Amino acid sequence: MYRTQRVIMITVIIMILSGCGDQRILEKLGFTQTTSYDLAPDDEQSTSTEDQSKKKLIISVSIPRPDTDGGNKSREVLTAIAYTSKEGKIKLSRQTELMVVSGQLRNALFGLSLAKQGIWEHIDTLVRDTSISPRVKVTIVNGSAHELLAKDYPRHPRTGQYLDRMLEKEAGSQTIPEITLYQFTKDYLDDGIDPVAPIIKKTEEHIQLDGIALFQNDQYVTKIGPDQALTFAFLRGNFKQGEMSIDLSDVGRNDEHIMFSSMISQRSVKIKTGSGSNQYRADINIKITGSVQEYIGERSLDQDKDRKKLESLIAEYIKLKAEEMVAMMQKNQVDSIGLGKYVRKELGYERWKSTDWYDVYQNIEVKCHVKIHIKDYGKFVNKSE
Amino acid sequence: MKDSQPLNSSTKNNPTYVDENSQSYDESDIVPSLEHTLDNFKDCIDLTHRTFPHINVNLVYFDHLIGSDELARDVIIPLSQVREYEVQSLLKRSQYQLATDSKTVIKGILNGDVAIFYKDLTYLISIYKPESRSIQQSETETVITGPHDSFIEVAMSNLSLIRRRLKSSHLKVLKLQVGEVAKSDVYILYIDGIANMDYVQQLVKRIELIEVDAIHDGNMLIQYIDDFPNSIFPLFSTTERTDSAISKLVAGRILGILDGSPSVFSAPASFFEFFASPDDYYQRWAIGTATRVLRFIALFITLSFTALYVSVTTFHYEMIPEALLLTITESRSRVPFPPIYEALLMEVTIELLREAGARLPTKIGQTIGIVGGIVIGQAAVQAGLTSNILIIAVASSAIASFVIPSYVMSASIRLIRFSLIILAGTLGDLGIAMGTAYIIIHLSGLTSLNSSYITPVAPNNFDDWRDVFIRAPFWALRNRPSQSKTPNVIKNKMKK
Amino acid sequence: MREKLHPFHITLLVFMIQQGVVVFSLPRLLALHMGYNGWIALFAYWGITTLNIMLISIVYRLCDGQSIFHIIEQSLPKIVVIPLYSFMILVWTLIGCMAAKQYVIIYQVFVFPTTHPMFMKFVVDVLAFILVIKGIYNISKAVTSFFWLVIWTVLLLLFFIKGFNWVDLTPFFFHEASEPLIGSLNIYTAFLGYELVLLLFPYSEKGKRFMKAVHIGNLFTALTYIAIAFICFGFYSFNQLKRMKYPVIDLLAYIELPFVERIENLIFGIYIFTALIGVVMYCWAAIETTQRIIPKAHSNWLSAIIIATAFAISWIPKVLSEVEKWLQYLGYMEIGIAWGLPLILIFILLFKKRRDESCIERSES
Repeated sequence: MYRTQRVIMITVIIMILSGCGDQRILEKLGFTQTTSYDLAPDDEQSTSTEDQSKKKLIISVSIPRPDTDGGNKSREVLTAIAYTSKEGKIKLSRQTELMVVSGQLRNALFGLSLAKQGIWEHIDTLVRDTSISPRVKVTIVNGSAHELLAKDYPRHPRTGQYLDRMLEKEAGSQTIPEITLYQFTKDYLDDGIDPVAPIIKKTEEHIQLDGIALFQNDQYVTKIGPDQALTFAFLRGNFKQGEMSIDLSDVGRNDEHIMFSSMISQRSVKIKTGSGSNQYRADINIKITGSVQEYIGERSLDQDKDRKKLESLIAEYIKLKAEEMVAMMQKNQVDSIGLGKYVRKELGYERWKSTDWYDVYQNIEVKCHVKIHIKDYGKFVNKSE
Repeated sequence: MKDSQPLNSSTKNNPTYVDENSQSYDESDIVPSLEHTLDNFKDCIDLTHRTFPHINVNLVYFDHLIGSDELARDVIIPLSQVREYEVQSLLKRSQYQLATDSKTVIKGILNGDVAIFYKDLTYLISIYKPESRSIQQSETETVITGPHDSFIEVAMSNLSLIRRRLKSSHLKVLKLQVGEVAKSDVYILYIDGIANMDYVQQLVKRIELIEVDAIHDGNMLIQYIDDFPNSIFPLFSTTERTDSAISKLVAGRILGILDGSPSVFSAPASFFEFFASPDDYYQRWAIGTATRVLRFIALFITLSFTALYVSVTTFHYEMIPEALLLTITESRSRVPFPPIYEALLMEVTIELLREAGARLPTKIGQTIGIVGGIVIGQAAVQAGLTSNILIIAVASSAIASFVIPSYVMSASIRLIRFSLIILAGTLGDLGIAMGTAYIIIHLSGLTSLNSSYITPVAPNNFDDWRDVFIRAPFWALRNRPSQSKTPNVIKNKMKK
Repeated sequence: MREKLHPFHITLLVFMIQQGVVVFSLPRLLALHMGYNGWIALFAYWGITTLNIMLISIVYRLCDGQSIFHIIEQSLPKIVVIPLYSFMILVWTLIGCMAAKQYVIIYQVFVFPTTHPMFMKFVVDVLAFILVIKGIYNISKAVTSFFWLVIWTVLLLLFFIKGFNWVDLTPFFFHEASEPLIGSLNIYTAFLGYELVLLLFPYSEKGKRFMKAVHIGNLFTALTYIAIAFICFGFYSFNQLKRMKYPVIDLLAYIELPFVERIENLIFGIYIFTALIGVVMYCWAAIETTQRIIPKAHSNWLSAIIIATAFAISWIPKVLSEVEKWLQYLGYMEIGIAWGLPLILIFILLFKKRRDESCIERSES
């Protein structure tokens, strides 16, 4: 028996050694870490109406290179113009000596013009590729994504890395939601919510966060400015860690400011159905605990009475802002916070399918109920009176 | 100490073996005589022949095998003080045994007896006391705390070490012989009532079937009685330490001592036994458990670290987290070979260093080890022959392989590592998975003395896991291992 | 070997045979064919398979642990027995090897896309051969070791509790189910494997614990499937789940640890153990059956021939969809065997009992 076994082992060894194809040896690869998609500007070729629908794309990839001379910023940016992203990849690989692979992709940028047209096709390509991780971030660029990517920003690490770290840091403090391919696909394919994505723009020396882009299906509709990003976070779900600067003049206390930080927020949504034209009413309950780090104003934080009053003021402020935001979203017909999911929960299957959700969404009455709890207020006490 | 088993005699006349018994006439019938004996030992200049002419007594013995004090006390002095007519009655004392045939005489002389020829009677007296090493600490198995004495080459001394720790008449000792020319003694020890007699009989049967010229060491002996001699894994556990041996006896295993070898083997053995060290029991259970877990982690590291490195850099680049990506790429960018050749080169170098270090005397060996390791490693990286990440991987694998307490097992594991690296370089992660599958399939078929080698994983026994994968506190270790199939299971009767 | 299989190992054996390639696309199949919250259907599957196992336990009790071949050959004429055995041999040989081929092809979607799949299949078959010739006792030892190596991956599910959202489960039940009948049969193939227990009767320790072990193994499989499907249905939205071909592999791709990411290649490689056990056990079953027809064949050569034949036949389907079609039909046939064989045996045994009783009556009168 051992003789047979040995013969088999030898055969196996020979066969294993002959199947050495498909290698991806590390130093021969060019890892794209960031890619950008833009609509090519109109040119003479696409004058006829037929060509209008087949717009070309500008595709850029950023490939970090190991440093041969001590700096930490060397990378290669390749650009190609093609109809589809994979065709673009073939054109790109003609420009470099490395094998272009996308397994280490971290970030996908979409220019604003392309986002307005709809980005699902490209997301679909990215999701379909087995070597691409579902954790790739999706970001919209207010302007040309290609230009943002191609530029090197002094005093910052490689652009791709700079962008990646900045997005992660901001997601950690809730100024943008963390949107990955997985999250975008999940929201896009779910009929109870619309996807969102962070939006950035290029300035002279930095990349700057420009807010949150709201989509209807896969088309960009409008955006929320960076100042209101935290309100969006309250409405979207539970989170820990975030800080907000509140100007109390909106709720009647002029020249008073509060900085509310280390927030822990919990949100729950209840839908009440009724009959008549105003069929649905959504109640969004938000409970926030946090600490006050800065208070400019007359009251003293260590008095219970005053603190309670401040809590209600903050609550009122947030309620105001939240309801404004929801109204704006309703007007634009983007259900970015997922009210549809909760309405779906209340209706049965048939009713939900027969409802034109965007229509109904515009007319839903949404009320926010906010409860604030100030956990602590730092280590410096007010003058005792 | 009486023989309780028939002496090993060759049953067939195999001409390839030098068989002292196959002379032209059968020795057993010959009446022993001085001339015949001296003739047999012709050309053996180390044989001593003394005569007492006044009483017509001849002594024949090997001077270096006997103890000179005993010789003087038991033989020379009595004989020199006696007159001729008293010789006969002197020789009737119990320590002088009458030999009835020449074969016994020759055997006796070879075993360290003194042959006393008087007229046509021959007597043998046993005063075997050879020079031997003193009892010292074993070089290959060291512990931090605990007894440091270990076995030496003289079987009697080893038996003494065991007997003084196991003072029980249930400890039985059987004697066998192996080696056609060498005729070395093998002693089988077991505790009656705890050990399973099937195993004892199996072991005895297998040893009796051995037919070679000489066996030099216990490690060599066990390869002759193996269930699976072609397997890479050791199927019997060997030890040089007394406390290990005793714990195995008490666990219900069978011990074998070969005269001339300090390695004592025990059967049946399990794969996981090789990962236990006596140290675990001399420290508190939390530390013992942590050390055991560390050993299994070390096993995992030594098998997979380099293989994973090769597999990731050759096929699965997407597994590298971003922070490490450029570091690894950079370190690989200067290397001209694909990762698998680089890895094999470094692994072979480390093996060379290790083997060279084992051969050299201690003082030089240490220097070569350190200098060689550091210098070669650094120089290789600087020359661009390897990457420094690989050096780290290979070095950690090598260090992890030395964490395994048993030297033979760690040698086997190191060899398996090579095949896993090759598989990783050709088929990536799938290759590693297939290699692991083959190892497990192989292990599943192994038996040690007909009991499963991978007990207590299969056949399953969760109780044994308390002493294999962790070291539970002593109040939780109540039973003997299931592998020994002992009739007497409980070893710890304490309530808490 | 002369030793008998302990019930614990039987549990693990049943579990490992049942686990296979199907689990990777199971959530999608459930979403597609069972609709919203399709994971609940798994409870029904558990119930149905339990019924099947109960049939087998009735057989076990009636025949008192004898080999089923013995019973069949005693009562049925050779003309019926040989085609029956041939059918079983054919189905069993092919189903094991096709499942392995599917595993290899799926692996190739992710890594090694241009290497010839039969190449890796060859290595898998060689490993299977080496294991099969060691006998059922050693096979069960290998299965136990593989089990411990594979089971810890279930703990990775804990990683997804953070992203799990109850509201994503939706309150709909079983809407939008397409082709539920055919689909449910396809999903049933994920549970197949327990029927091979029929051949284990003479090799295992006698007693009630044997069948209890099989039930526990089946339950364990069902629980694992339910846990995986449940997490998938909450982690992915319904339509998204319907569109992902291998949701479990995607789940694995999502895990990110500080020192390694994208472990799905590694973990999927580990699952080759389950595919290997499938091949081994089905081939072993085929070999056992063949030995009843040709008792004088040397068992190692027989195994080699059977595995080589299966290898040759598995060359034929070249593309994933073809393999899936083969497996679909083989799965139906295997479901037939899983239900049919115990029923046949029960009839035979009851018939025999009645005949024996009437014989006794006649002899007494």
